[in-house]
Amino acid sequence: MKNLIQNPLALSGLIIIIAILFIAIFAPWLSPYDPNYIDIHSILLPPSLSHFMGTDGLGRDVFSRMLFGSRISLLVGFVAVGIATIIGTFLGAIAGFYRGLVDSIIMRFVDIMLSIPSFFLILAVIAFLTPSIWNIMIVIGLTSWMGVTRLVRAEFLSLRSREYILAAEAMGATDYRLISKHLLPNSLTPIIVSSVLGIASAVLTESGLSFLGLGVQAPQSSWGNILTDGKEYIQFAWWLSLFPGLAILITVLGYNLLGEGLRDFLDPKNKNQKK
Amino acid sequence: MLNYLIKRLLWMIPMLIGISLISFFIMHLAPGDITASESAFNPKASEESRQKLRALYNLDKPLITQYSLWLKRIVKLDFGNSFASHQRPILWQTKDAKGNITKGMIQDALPITLMINLIGLLIIFTLSIVLGVISAVHQNRWPDRLITIFVFIGFAVPGFWLALLLMYWTGVTHSWLPISGLHSAGYEKMGFIAQYVDLLKHLILPVSISSLGGLASISLFVRNGMLDVLQQEFITTARAKGLTENKVIYGHALRNTLLPLITIIGLSIPGLIGGSVIGESIFAIPGMGKLFFDAVLMRDFPVVMGVLTIGSVLTLFGNLIADIGYAWADPRIRRGISN
Repeated sequence: MKNLIQNPLALSGLIIIIAILFIAIFAPWLSPYDPNYIDIHSILLPPSLSHFMGTDGLGRDVFSRMLFGSRISLLVGFVAVGIATIIGTFLGAIAGFYRGLVDSIIMRFVDIMLSIPSFFLILAVIAFLTPSIWNIMIVIGLTSWMGVTRLVRAEFLSLRSREYILAAEAMGATDYRLISKHLLPNSLTPIIVSSVLGIASAVLTESGLSFLGLGVQAPQSSWGNILTDGKEYIQFAWWLSLFPGLAILITVLGYNLLGEGLRDFLDPKNKNQKK
Repeated sequence: MLNYLIKRLLWMIPMLIGISLISFFIMHLAPGDITASESAFNPKASEESRQKLRALYNLDKPLITQYSLWLKRIVKLDFGNSFASHQRPILWQTKDAKGNITKGMIQDALPITLMINLIGLLIIFTLSIVLGVISAVHQNRWPDRLITIFVFIGFAVPGFWLALLLMYWTGVTHSWLPISGLHSAGYEKMGFIAQYVDLLKHLILPVSISSLGGLASISLFVRNGMLDVLQQEFITTARAKGLTENKVIYGHALRNTLLPLITIIGLSIPGLIGGSVIGESIFAIPGMGKLFFDAVLMRDFPVVMGVLTIGSVLTLFGNLIADIGYAWADPRIRRGISN
């Protein structure tokens, strides 16, 4: 843990994510206005002391909407990646543990899923269902488990032939016990790293979908849909476009920094490279 | 090598079947009869086109029969016609009784997306090798730090946001660059060179936006690959026998780093095709991404299925080319020592 904090990448990522977590939890207390309150007397006001990030085309306070928007990006990131990690770990564990035919079937399925452009798949499914935050999280989760599957399988395959596993097997440990007590705990590193990096890409995907109007629906605010609204006013209200994009950038940067920092920290191979 | 090729090609058959299965069943996710939901969402769909559609997809038959019939048409490259865009053929041009040619939607859109992505890949390839090598050679000194900062920002910046800001800044505030479409008004009347320049100007923004993410990830990949290779024994040997540092880096280390890059480029194809949706929508470029997005909004199911299938098949072929390129470039595989 001490080393992790000394790693400047991981530390700055961690700080960013903790800050966003704090903002998301305390959004109702931090925001000066009701994020959905429409005030026709204060339309498109530039940033000032009373509206830190100005107001939008309906007179809503952008700062308050941004604070509440952090909840969406946090929720989407964690739930989508949670789904992907559970599916990926499960399939990868089965493939790597039992090998043979099960393995071939699962890995071919992974290959097929990887060859379909996932943004197309997500768009098609979202459009045929109704766009809502829950559908988005589920669909992003269902289209991004393949990387985890490959990682867990590779890890299981290499751990399987270690002596301690053979010993456990010789002592009569059940498959379930082997997987849950011996193999999974030793494959956690790549799972954690890929989950953290996965959250970053889930946040980007959600904001992209919201930007296209297929994501989080009004009046609920997400950084993506604040940006979409801002697009209409870009010539005279720069603040509507600037802040949500910056927020997405900083959030994604935070997860990527933490993920790469964790990878450096947890991967013994990288330690030798540091001079 | 020949054995490898045949094996690799045969593998594609089950993959193609899997892709067609997924594309087919996605369409059946939509609640109810697709022709009903289609007509509910698209007033342009006439009763006649609904009947055609029912017949085309054999909606009265069981799902398995429907699928096998659809597969039979797909194998003949018959993707049917769009409901929304005046019944245009989806894949390739058709000739009617009077000899008028109607061009296929994918036939029009695909070359545009391919052009943007190929130019993008070329830029990504050259720039990221330069950046990656500089970063690795100067590990943990300022050029490396600077490039690493660029890489992390490149990963994190939402492309559509940057596109919007650049569009506004270069197009609206300064009028340096055109901000939408591929051609200016009066394109047909320009001379050949002027047309070319016009197209290039329209491509600058979309291509830079679409290459940013790839540039970041591949620079990082080249950097880490170089650092890995530089630690191996053959590099120590090369240095020990007195080769200059330039020879060691460019002659030995870089060559070995570039090999896996071929596979990475192959793997990045679905991302590039999928990423084209947002970029093409913002810049109003009539490529595959915009075609797909518009079809999704209009619930133009045959087009959605067609683009999904063609996009995936392209990815498969991209991976195939990458694998063959890898096998060809790596003597160990070329000589059949490992497969």
